[in-house]
Amino acid sequence: MQGMRRFLKRWCPMRSLAALKMLLHDRSTTAGSVLGVVAIVFLVGQQLSVLFGLFNYMSVLVDHSGADIWVCTQNIQNINGAGFMPVRYVDRISGLPDVEWVEPLVFGSASFRTREGQYQPVQVVGLRNPRQACGPWRFYQGAQDALFDYEGITLDRLDLNVLGSPQMNHFYEIGDIRTKVLGITQSIRGFAGTLVFTNMVKAKEILKTPAGRCKAILIKVKPDTDISAMIGVLQKMFPRNEVLTTADLSRRTRAYYIKNTGIGGSFGFSTLIGALVGIIIIMLTMYTSVLNRTKEFAVLRALGARKIDILIVVASQSLIIAAIGIFIGFLFLALFLAGTLDSVLPSYMPTWILFYHAGFTLIMAMLGSILAMRRAIKIEPATVFR
Amino acid sequence: MSEAILKLEGIARDFYDGRELRRVLKKTDLEIYPAEFTVIAGPSGSGKTTLMTIIGLVLQPSEGTIYIGDKKVAAYSDTELANLRMRNFGFVFQQAELIPALSVVENLLIAAGVQGGSISSVLREKSLALLEGFGLKQYSHVKAQKLSTGQKQRVAIGRSLINDPKVLLCDEPTSALDSESSTIVLDTLKRLSKDSSRGVVMVTHDPRVFPYADRLIKLEDGGITYDSRNSTEGGTQ
Repeated sequence: MQGMRRFLKRWCPMRSLAALKMLLHDRSTTAGSVLGVVAIVFLVGQQLSVLFGLFNYMSVLVDHSGADIWVCTQNIQNINGAGFMPVRYVDRISGLPDVEWVEPLVFGSASFRTREGQYQPVQVVGLRNPRQACGPWRFYQGAQDALFDYEGITLDRLDLNVLGSPQMNHFYEIGDIRTKVLGITQSIRGFAGTLVFTNMVKAKEILKTPAGRCKAILIKVKPDTDISAMIGVLQKMFPRNEVLTTADLSRRTRAYYIKNTGIGGSFGFSTLIGALVGIIIIMLTMYTSVLNRTKEFAVLRALGARKIDILIVVASQSLIIAAIGIFIGFLFLALFLAGTLDSVLPSYMPTWILFYHAGFTLIMAMLGSILAMRRAIKIEPATVFR
Repeated sequence: MSEAILKLEGIARDFYDGRELRRVLKKTDLEIYPAEFTVIAGPSGSGKTTLMTIIGLVLQPSEGTIYIGDKKVAAYSDTELANLRMRNFGFVFQQAELIPALSVVENLLIAAGVQGGSISSVLREKSLALLEGFGLKQYSHVKAQKLSTGQKQRVAIGRSLINDPKVLLCDEPTSALDSESSTIVLDTLKRLSKDSSRGVVMVTHDPRVFPYADRLIKLEDGGITYDSRNSTEGGTQ
């Protein structure tokens, strides 16, 4: 504490120190303003984390495919809208020199029959080599070996309730085809429904995929291969198909859902409301704080403070409030993210977004203080003599 | 006779009271000299506070010119006036008007650091010396709000001196004090007025202050009616 005092005395200009001490003195007003910032950080952060969680669901298969390049049907808008294409393309691609592996993929909607006889929609993903391409990557029970069994499927732990609590090693019907639960994945969910992984043969049987057809072909290139050059080669090879990088397909899929499901607008609106609520709280508390300190600001003006000095005092106070609010808000956000980890609520916060979020909150706090700043610089030094 | 530190030429001030423009300070000429304790006295509404705020460059006059030394200052911008206030004037208000969030010593230092910049160790020592002179050094790190009214007013005088002002302006500084504290404050101001580089101007309606004055100016209805320096009635145009 003594060290902190010495540091402030040595390095903090008197004007900024006064700003800080005024804040600490007027605790209730400061707490109100901090609450406003915490509201912005938490409400906006929580909305963003759910949005990013949904983003992950939208492109989960693409993002975890392990492939560099995808060959799909032409004009593909999102991965779930892929049409059928010849599986023999796999052989032609595997002949190219820079290809490490090529795998076909089938997927589509089907109905899972629960023990009670109800039907639940599921997304079946059929893989030829689950250890290489698109295989489930986190297991709660079982392992990828489950998909080498002719009837083996995996379900996700978070979907077990919806599917009537299916048990490991028990048989269930999907699309009237007998399957056996041999693995439970951990938090692998899709935007279009529960993800069920199985082998290629079983998936084709369930989805009634025409012979010799698949939904996409995944390609992994050798290290140091020029991916865009490879895409050019593949595009020439398959002019009636679309060849995309994994990142491009992921972006396209997310953009499709954002545009066509209203998610973007809905989350944008609630984020805006969160920001507005915070700004209004900051605006009111900071303005009240300046009104309560009219005499103090007038004294400072009489002592020689310029308008810019008063502006700096109020702006410093806003920045201090914002910094404290961001810290507390991030703590709450961390608790929220930890609490919703592996829960049915999709929540994910990329690290880079935190920097933008902090910057955005600082701007919001400053915007919320504009009214207070305007009021503060209008205070006449003569006020102190009245 | 020493040169005037401050000169007011034809200063007047009008206020709009919502219905009409009212002249609260008639055209006034006034010179403030160093080493002089000037008391401006008058009843409420006589214009003495208006005159003092104009002297202190807090309020712009509606007419007339102000000179600090030879420098004409009436047409300066708000920022320039703030700079001049900081360098040339010390203020002691009716109430001490200390910043309650700051400690006693910080209340002195804020007057030196109000425009930013770090506080030098020389200034810190000076502030402690000022407090020692007022018998308040032991309270230097106490929050200002914990002091008695008289102690606060002495801190306010210390604050007004931190920048070595040419003019110390006091707006009825004893009005809120008991007689014992008033005597201490007046003795202090009288002592400070002996400094050959500084003039002290005090506005009051309290006749107990008059014996301390080197120069007494009486104000009535916005005009000077008596100035002991001239020892004649008048001075108002």
